[in-house]
Amino acid sequence: MLSSTDWQQLMRNSFFCVAFCFPLTLSLTISFNSIASTELTNRWQHIESLGKNQDVYFYAWGGDPQINAYIQWAGQQVKTLYNINLHHVKLTDTSEAVSRVLAEKSANNHSQGSVDLVWINGANFATMSEHALLLKQWANKLPNFQYTDPENNPAVNFDFGIPTQGMEAPWGQAALTFYYDNLSTQNPPSTLSELLSWSAKNTGRFSYPKPPDFLGLSFLKYVLVILHQKSATELKSQLYTPVTKQNKALILNPLWSFLNKLHPVLWRNGKHFPQSGEQMRRLVDDTELSLAFTFSAPTVPAAVKRFDLPQSIRSYAMSDGSLSNTHFVAIPYNATHQASAQIVANFLLSPIAQAHKQKQNVWGDSSVLIQSTLDDQQQELFKVQLPHPSALPFNSIKRTLSEPHPDWVKAIIEGWQTRYGISL
Amino acid sequence: MNFIAKQMDILHHKADWFTHIVKLSPRFLLALLIIPVLGGLIAVILPAFGWAPALNQYTIGLEGFRALWQTPGLSTMMLLSVATGLVSTLLAFVMTLLILAAFFNTAWLDYIQRILSPILVIPHAAAAIAIGFIIAPSGMLSRLISPWLSGWELSPAGIFPHDPWGISIILGLTLKELPFLLLMALGILAQPEFGKKLREQHKVALNLGYYPMTAFFKVILPNLYPLLRLPILAVLAYASASVEMPLILGPNTPPTLAVAIMHWFNDVDLTLRIKASAGALLQLILTGCILVLWLAGETAIKYSFRDKLTNGKRAYNSAFWQKTTYILTILVISFILLALIGLIMWSVAGFWRFPSVIPEQFVLSHFQSASVQMVNPLFNTLTIGIISTIFSILLTLLCLESEQLNSKPISNFTSLIIYLPLLVPSIAFLFGLVWLQQLANNSSAYISVVFSHVLFVLPYVFLSLAASYRRLDRRFSHVAASLGAKPFKVFLQIKLPQLFAPILIATALGLAISFGQYLPTLLVGGGRIATITTEAVTLANGASRRTSAVYAIIQMALPLIGFILAWLLPKLFYKSAHR
Repeated sequence: MLSSTDWQQLMRNSFFCVAFCFPLTLSLTISFNSIASTELTNRWQHIESLGKNQDVYFYAWGGDPQINAYIQWAGQQVKTLYNINLHHVKLTDTSEAVSRVLAEKSANNHSQGSVDLVWINGANFATMSEHALLLKQWANKLPNFQYTDPENNPAVNFDFGIPTQGMEAPWGQAALTFYYDNLSTQNPPSTLSELLSWSAKNTGRFSYPKPPDFLGLSFLKYVLVILHQKSATELKSQLYTPVTKQNKALILNPLWSFLNKLHPVLWRNGKHFPQSGEQMRRLVDDTELSLAFTFSAPTVPAAVKRFDLPQSIRSYAMSDGSLSNTHFVAIPYNATHQASAQIVANFLLSPIAQAHKQKQNVWGDSSVLIQSTLDDQQQELFKVQLPHPSALPFNSIKRTLSEPHPDWVKAIIEGWQTRYGISL
Repeated sequence: MNFIAKQMDILHHKADWFTHIVKLSPRFLLALLIIPVLGGLIAVILPAFGWAPALNQYTIGLEGFRALWQTPGLSTMMLLSVATGLVSTLLAFVMTLLILAAFFNTAWLDYIQRILSPILVIPHAAAAIAIGFIIAPSGMLSRLISPWLSGWELSPAGIFPHDPWGISIILGLTLKELPFLLLMALGILAQPEFGKKLREQHKVALNLGYYPMTAFFKVILPNLYPLLRLPILAVLAYASASVEMPLILGPNTPPTLAVAIMHWFNDVDLTLRIKASAGALLQLILTGCILVLWLAGETAIKYSFRDKLTNGKRAYNSAFWQKTTYILTILVISFILLALIGLIMWSVAGFWRFPSVIPEQFVLSHFQSASVQMVNPLFNTLTIGIISTIFSILLTLLCLESEQLNSKPISNFTSLIIYLPLLVPSIAFLFGLVWLQQLANNSSAYISVVFSHVLFVLPYVFLSLAASYRRLDRRFSHVAASLGAKPFKVFLQIKLPQLFAPILIATALGLAISFGQYLPTLLVGGGRIATITTEAVTLANGASRRTSAVYAIIQMALPLIGFILAWLLPKLFYKSAHR
């Protein structure tokens, strides 16, 4: 645990280090960057010495056995490397972790928090950052953060358009991809307008998870962004700024009129929706649905290998664009084992962990590391094997669509709830 | 007799350590139950009226309730909760009575009990999945007639589960409650003295020419019902506020009130928590109203049928009711068997495309991959279950002993408090309890979870032990006491051996209840304590039906082992005693 005195000590050490190194660097004409890096190295050595031999409670969504197994693997690695006991606290919804930290804050528990590390992005991050529930300026100082090439790849410093300010370390990337059962349909839709005509032809064979489910919202955001592709630039740009009274109806009305056309031809006539992406996947296995989508393309071949989806499943990406985002790990401000959590976050960002995660048979989540920052040996780790027939073909995603400002999420949920939340 | 009374008096005054502990135990029990439940309630009521330091809200007002009234579909939510709770409990109760009446004093009752009792221990989430698989458009019923009869190559459109009227929820809850009520009733009838008396009275009625079912309703029911009332109320309270079944089987546009409250509590938008607290309060009132409604109905029936009891009429279309009951029982049992077969097939299924009735291949990989991840949850499930059950049994025995030492039953107030955790919807006080736990800065999640399990295990253990304990023949203890045995010795060597079988049953029940706890484990443990049940629900809402089936089977197997032991051990014990 890092108490405030520890932090002061840490700051003083860094200061002494800089003060001591400065004349030395002058004489050796080493660039300022390396002073900073020496400072960072010392900081990191200090964190390593503080964080070893401890427990880390990692609050992460636990609904996928593959991801759970990967976290278990990571736990074994940090155990061998740092003697850290990584406990995966399996959540059904990440907001459970948010409410826990909030409850602790309200009970004046400012240093003995139960959440050490949390898997997070989007609206949950926006909430935690707004309520000052996260530790700041640590992620950008992790040694392995350099491999994400933050200067040329700003995506790792923004979470749904909100600057992360070093509050979270990137962990993986995801894009919205679709999959279909080729025994039920041979010509799946490849654009949003085709989706509407396909659904009309195959009544009841498509649906989306009920908002506020993350995946269901992602689908609605995909629809929203596509519908505004031909809008005036001025209007389109407001997708990436907060909601105002003026732009709310202007931006959202096309979405509602599209859904009004889509819902009658959905599964159960759009009067009932799957609870989650996983339930939607089960409905595909039951042949109730013929078309579905996921934010994590590799889970599709993995599900086929586990028999959870039929062998006739094929994955593809929409040609008019795929919504994509980065997911992160963050440390609550009151985490008990802050240093240990940073060690774990740094390990998750390491080439070994990222390469292992990207393997199709492990998790298949895209790496956040930029290949050019890695040496040959590290790049070797990322070599791919032969893909499964149901897997997303390599380089399918032609266009990526950025996430709208998180403010829109709430507006979409509210509007959806009043329009479609009550079917009786 | 006078002499014995004097002896007892002396024992009362000569307070040894055992008597001390025994006398303190009811007070301890009260504190143990009242503080967390009421504390939890207060911690929900305060935010409901706008006082939430966590959100920097300190103004007392009705903002939360205003937001609640403005929720679209609130009346539908309330109606769904009330209807599913009432109808399912009523159905389960009526079917329990019909089965008891039709099969009373026959060997069939034993068989039915044996088939139904495993259902008791299936966690709600697992049962919901198994039921959903039967009634879904791609489910077993539809597979059995496809494609040869229906012509369906792909699953048809349908309304079950998730039908907007809550029929699927009612079906699920009824099937889960029926075995519980039946088992409770059989437990009451199994008490040596009481059961024997009723069976004899039943025989007398038969000899007087009453049809068996009529005899049951006129002779047994009036004696049985008062003892069955609390279990029924507990079922009613649970059914009106449960989360797992409506989540998996119910509609979501809108869902039931309890499910909506859970979503609001877990919403990213933290200000929704005020509304959620107001909703929890509404749920509390709703559940209270349903309980009152039931009690009122009970009184109405009692008064309107009072004269019929003694009108001497021997039969009420009895042959028809007898047949109806047979058919209903067969339907229920085949439905449950179909669900169990489905569950077992899913746990070993390879690819299994609609409309095949059996999987294309059978594999053990689901069990293998689950067993790797199951070690720690299994350990937690067992240790938490064992600790909370043993603690509950000890405390229950001490409280019941204090009753006997004081020669008067514990007050009505105390017995009401014991059932408090069963009658107050857990969704209403658990969130508050977590907040209190934070306040107390209790950092040991494990101990907190054990403690929260005790809240739910204790009432069931008490319910199952109290009747047997109160019916102990006191003359044995009096004789022992008059021979100079101290209360502790009487307790240990006279009473406990007589209670061997009931204690084992109570232990098995306590373990089963603890194994099945989802919300308390999740919320109070902060998600840190994984048990088979929390894992199963997480997986049930997510990933695969195959993995969920594996977990459901393990969940069923664990308590079943307990019940089999509780059933076998007394037989072995008594056999050796008879030799």
